[in-house]
Amino acid sequence: MRYAILLLGAPYSHQASHSALRFAHALIARGHALQAVFFYHDGVHNAARLAAPPQDERHLTDEWIALHAEHGTSLEVCIAAALRRGLVDEREAVRHGKSGHSLEAPFELTGLGQLIDLGQRCDRLITFAP
Amino acid sequence: MTAHASSDLLVILRHGPHGSSLLRDGLDAALVAAAFGQRVSLLFMGEGVMALVDDQQTDPLGPKGTAATLTMLTMYDIETILVEEAALEHIGLAPSDLMLPVCLMSGKALSALPASHRLVLTF
Amino acid sequence: MLLHVLNRAPTTSRVYQQALAMMGEEDRLLLVEDGVQGALPQMVRHFSEVHGRLFALREDLASRGLLGRCDASVQVVDVDGFVHLTEQAERTVSWY
Repeated sequence: MRYAILLLGAPYSHQASHSALRFAHALIARGHALQAVFFYHDGVHNAARLAAPPQDERHLTDEWIALHAEHGTSLEVCIAAALRRGLVDEREAVRHGKSGHSLEAPFELTGLGQLIDLGQRCDRLITFAP
Repeated sequence: MTAHASSDLLVILRHGPHGSSLLRDGLDAALVAAAFGQRVSLLFMGEGVMALVDDQQTDPLGPKGTAATLTMLTMYDIETILVEEAALEHIGLAPSDLMLPVCLMSGKALSALPASHRLVLTF
Repeated sequence: MLLHVLNRAPTTSRVYQQALAMMGEEDRLLLVEDGVQGALPQMVRHFSEVHGRLFALREDLASRGLLGRCDASVQVVDVDGFVHLTEQAERTVSWY
């Protein structure tokens, strides 16, 4: 089946990101395809390029990137939720006159329409929330 | 019930205005889905009924509210606006306290909603 | 049949009542994260109306020291079982 995940919880503040990652690997192990993870609400913080957790903790941002590299899962970040919270890619940084960017590929800024599209295209959409 | 049977998307709003952005985020998702031509039902549940309370003042120093958005729902062709009756009673409000005409839901009609929509999003 | 997923404990949140109010007669309820507290013998009475359709996530029970303390009426599933439940259900509704 084609799965998508909607992630609403910020990393480390809540268990949502850990739960979503565990579920992601489990569904892939059962032979399903994870088309996309859509990061919305505080979930956009999962895409923080500058996150530097202690070495004895999981690096959630890197784990999402690894999921993309190994399984082709797209990492889609709601642009409206991200910009409000200071998560900008290079293009948006230039557009808003910022000196640096805080989000980079393979995370991609996208609109909420993409979430609606995933809901239509995928067989299952599972929400992980704070 | 026929008005919202087999719709595309049910958005369940369970948070009040101002205190968190979940209500706004849920409404935004509903509006975008409606703009994409989907048939959207909104269900205000629990504390979410606070979103509909009439006479919400604009607070220039507070978070941007949702009242203005709610008054425009019909412009987005979102006409199925449902309210959990028990939530309204629990808070001690009546439909006349609300800014929009709503359809009160309880019992089996309420619990049948998730099964009659292709996708359910809770906020 | 739908799968409802609840991550809040009955002691701290009334959200479990919302989940129960929205469940159809065949729907299942999976307790995850802090929600697994609901699987304890003292707590499980809150879920009596979904008896036989109540599940709890093994990993979240284990990390909280609750794995051996679950009520016998609760079906414990690991994350593979969680995925399996989502396969069987037409869709999943999250309560938080």
